[in-house]
Amino acid sequence: MHELIQTIVNGLTTGFLYALIALGYTMVYGVLQLLNFAHGDVYMIGAYIGYFVIQWFGGPTALSIPVPLLVAIMFVISALGTGVLGVAIERFAYRPLRNAPRIAPLITALGVSFILENSVLLLFGGFTKSYNTNEFISFNTGIHIGAIDIDSVQITIFIVSILMMYGLIQLVDRTTLGKSMRAVASDREAAEMLGINVDRVISYTFFIGSAMAGVAGVMSGLAFNQISATIGFLAGLKAFTAAVVGGIGSIPGAMIGGLFIGICEAFAASYISSKYTDLIVFGILIAVMLVRPTGIFGRPALQKV
Amino acid sequence: MPIGVDEWVAQHTDRRDAGTGWRRVMYTLEARVSWWPRLLIVFVVGLLFAQLNLNSNIEQVAINSLIYAILALGLNIAVGWAGLLDLGYVAFFGTGAYGYAVLSSGNIHWSAIATIPVVFLGTALFGAVIGLVSLRVSGDYLAIVTLFVGQAFMEVVNNVAPGTLGGVNGLFGLDPINAFGASISTPKGYYYFALIVLAVLMGLLHLLDESRTGRAWRAVREDELAAKAMTIPTSAVKIMAISFGAAVGALAGTIFAAQQSNVFPTNFTANILILIYACLVLGGAGSLGGAVLGGIVVTVGEQMVSSPTDAGYLFYGLILLALVAKVRPWKVLGAVLAATAVGGVALHAIVHAISPSATGGSPGSAGWIGHLVSHWVIVPTNATTYGNILYIALIVAVFAVVRVRESLRPFVLVPTLYIAACCWESRLIVNPSITAQILIGAILIGVMTARPQGLLGTLRVEVV
Amino acid sequence: MAEDAAPASAAPLLELDGVGITFGGLRALTDLNLTVGEKEIVSIIGPNGAGKTTVFNAITGVYTPDEGDIRLAGQSIAGRPPHKITDAGIARTFQSLRLFLNMTVRENVMAATYGSTKATPVESMLQLPRARREAREVKALTEEVLSFFGQRLAGYRWDQPAYSLSYANRRRLEIARALATRPKLLLLDEPAAGMNPNETHEVSEVIGRLRDELSLAILVIEHDMHVVEGISDRVVALDHGVKVTEGTFEHVANHPAVVEAYLGRDPEALAEA
Repeated sequence: MHELIQTIVNGLTTGFLYALIALGYTMVYGVLQLLNFAHGDVYMIGAYIGYFVIQWFGGPTALSIPVPLLVAIMFVISALGTGVLGVAIERFAYRPLRNAPRIAPLITALGVSFILENSVLLLFGGFTKSYNTNEFISFNTGIHIGAIDIDSVQITIFIVSILMMYGLIQLVDRTTLGKSMRAVASDREAAEMLGINVDRVISYTFFIGSAMAGVAGVMSGLAFNQISATIGFLAGLKAFTAAVVGGIGSIPGAMIGGLFIGICEAFAASYISSKYTDLIVFGILIAVMLVRPTGIFGRPALQKV
Repeated sequence: MPIGVDEWVAQHTDRRDAGTGWRRVMYTLEARVSWWPRLLIVFVVGLLFAQLNLNSNIEQVAINSLIYAILALGLNIAVGWAGLLDLGYVAFFGTGAYGYAVLSSGNIHWSAIATIPVVFLGTALFGAVIGLVSLRVSGDYLAIVTLFVGQAFMEVVNNVAPGTLGGVNGLFGLDPINAFGASISTPKGYYYFALIVLAVLMGLLHLLDESRTGRAWRAVREDELAAKAMTIPTSAVKIMAISFGAAVGALAGTIFAAQQSNVFPTNFTANILILIYACLVLGGAGSLGGAVLGGIVVTVGEQMVSSPTDAGYLFYGLILLALVAKVRPWKVLGAVLAATAVGGVALHAIVHAISPSATGGSPGSAGWIGHLVSHWVIVPTNATTYGNILYIALIVAVFAVVRVRESLRPFVLVPTLYIAACCWESRLIVNPSITAQILIGAILIGVMTARPQGLLGTLRVEVV
Repeated sequence: MAEDAAPASAAPLLELDGVGITFGGLRALTDLNLTVGEKEIVSIIGPNGAGKTTVFNAITGVYTPDEGDIRLAGQSIAGRPPHKITDAGIARTFQSLRLFLNMTVRENVMAATYGSTKATPVESMLQLPRARREAREVKALTEEVLSFFGQRLAGYRWDQPAYSLSYANRRRLEIARALATRPKLLLLDEPAAGMNPNETHEVSEVIGRLRDELSLAILVIEHDMHVVEGISDRVVALDHGVKVTEGTFEHVANHPAVVEAYLGRDPEALAEA
């Protein structure tokens, strides 16, 4: 029994990461109808930023500031850095193609993803870098409920993710910006004609989505230690699946989808085999697409003839 | 024909497409020479190329070019004609290669007469199944599902049935393509084989393009709803597109596997998929000639980047070409080039005077190009960190060049060119494989934003 | 109030029988009965949002009726996929043009012959006899259909891309493309939209010729009352998805419910009520 719960806990850890990344995918799809393939690599760069923050403050074994402060700074700087990166990518690669057929920005996104990955390979080399988290956050900190361990990194992930998601929902539901985002997602042209600065709204969307992915990257480094230039690809793919399963364009969908995929993956790894987890996630995607093509929370778009 | 009459006005698009000057000459030539003679000319050129008896390295590059040309042709069916974003195409390439590998090794050892059709049809069936599944969902989801198929393929050949599929180590010792006792065992033999396959394929695809199926594909891309209203069974047509493309990809896979005599899972990664896309996008999606040209150009380009003597030709050649094509008027172009050259040499001299070790390294380019630029670019003795910083600076500079006002652009261009050259010589050229990938990514972004029709494609008019 | 009865033709070519379509909470069509006889020109009029294009979409299979049935020559076609309905003999044009812009004029028309040809891709690639024969037939049919429009879509335009055509020519091309499917019933969605008086007059003539020379039944959605008056054997008025009335043009144009739907109710009459 406790094994089951432990699996769920571990699944939730990756699940929150996927959910954070999936939110970026789903938000961008909502306003631009674009599947931003480069998003996973933004997550990867977030992880690297976190790594360098650790080095800047002395490295994992000789930190010059207290750990909670370090983690907070890592999150903030990564969020800012990846947010700016996301905005830059949008301005440079996607904005010129705003009115081009759908296939064009998708191909461009592939190019951006490629450049991000290979730039990191060029600048920082192909070997994995390690956060060495347990040097500054001991595995033994955290809570124990019976035989179930939830270590402090996991607790941090849960709390920060939930806070960010709550913040996002407040933003989308209550603020003017959120309303503008929903308007642009609904009908971009009409939103423009009503005086909404569509360019700015899209930039904000990219900023928020990318920042969340960046934070997820730092969390990934803290939880799993190893980071490399290619972690973005697979994580992005799975977060993608999560966004689609939840219903692309739907924010609650991305959250639920991410957690769902994370937990499924954990169960697959524990009870079936860790070699086939990716295939299983793929299978889930196919199954959901066949049974409910618009995802859990998605709504089919009515086409006006 | 008198100007202003209906017929003259109707031909306005032809005149505009023809352009002026030398472009018009090319366009008229192209219009005069119909498609089949063109194919014959290309085929003959390919044959003549083989007579040059170049070294085996170049022969290998030539074979790879042909393989990628065939791959681009296959991708063109789904992406260029039917407008479907098939991101799992590399899985079809892999299925063809692995299919051939399994049937030509171990205990099976079939002759090519059997393997090639079996693999071809088998992959076509596989493609049809994928199409069927992807079409249960709409539009953008096709991209996601096919992307996953590509991933799933990798997972399968890496992990499933290592006995038959070789697992991580791949399969070795494959039979060469053989039939009736004879077999193709030399690189030259594979070159001729690939060339013949390419020519025949181009002919067949051309006939297909002009047939009802080709029109149906293009109609589905233009307006799926209208196509449905005009008797076209769009779902079946889309599945056909993916299936045909898959079969062509498999054909390329068999040639690839046979001439390499082995297959590894790493031959079919997502990187390869993006490479194929770069071939098609650069050459011109929708155009048969474009697909072939793209395949050749990208493969040769990749090869050039890897060799220090040739990389310079590629890099400086491309930059000069881009400048000549885009920077007008001529005196501005001249000023930019002069400023970059003179400014660079001056800067080099100044920095050298201050700190000799800052210019102590030698440029990555070998040969006369390296010689020429050694007094122009600044390459320190320990170039790695320097190069990395320059790389980031280069990205920012390129960003600035694209976003800045037209009138300021030449001024931003000069330092950008210089930074690019220094970064190239000190860092990029040292890691050719990564640099090649970066260039591929840049091709995708650059072509899509600046010239979406690629080299040989036609600019499409889209209803927004 | 007696309606002029529809001219009694034998079994009507097209029959909508109590058709209802609902989108979420919105009733787009309610209990619609509509017939079109052979060689008859019927016009559908009504304010914007009345459901006119929805009728077309229902007939051509874009939407499946939630209630009722649609029959072509006695056979039910409700629920069939669009390309099968076109195969059965109903072709349409679109309110906002939907041409294959990047294909040539000729290719636009040829594309519509897909359903009536059978050559498989393999046959086309190998240029087998059936493929070659069908290609000849398709070419002849295309030229015949395009020639219907005479000098407007003259020969030198046939190899131009469709995006190079003028607006009026694009509308003509859409009709030509629909004709290539060899329909028995033609649905024209606002064929005179955006046209000047001369072009409008030409459209009326073309519609008449389509009925006379090609023996087509035609169902037209139109806002321009001159056109409606000039071409219609019968007029059907819709409002909010319901048939308000039906009959000759004079009858319908003067029907109080039709006047009210277009012009609103007389405020004085409202005050009195």
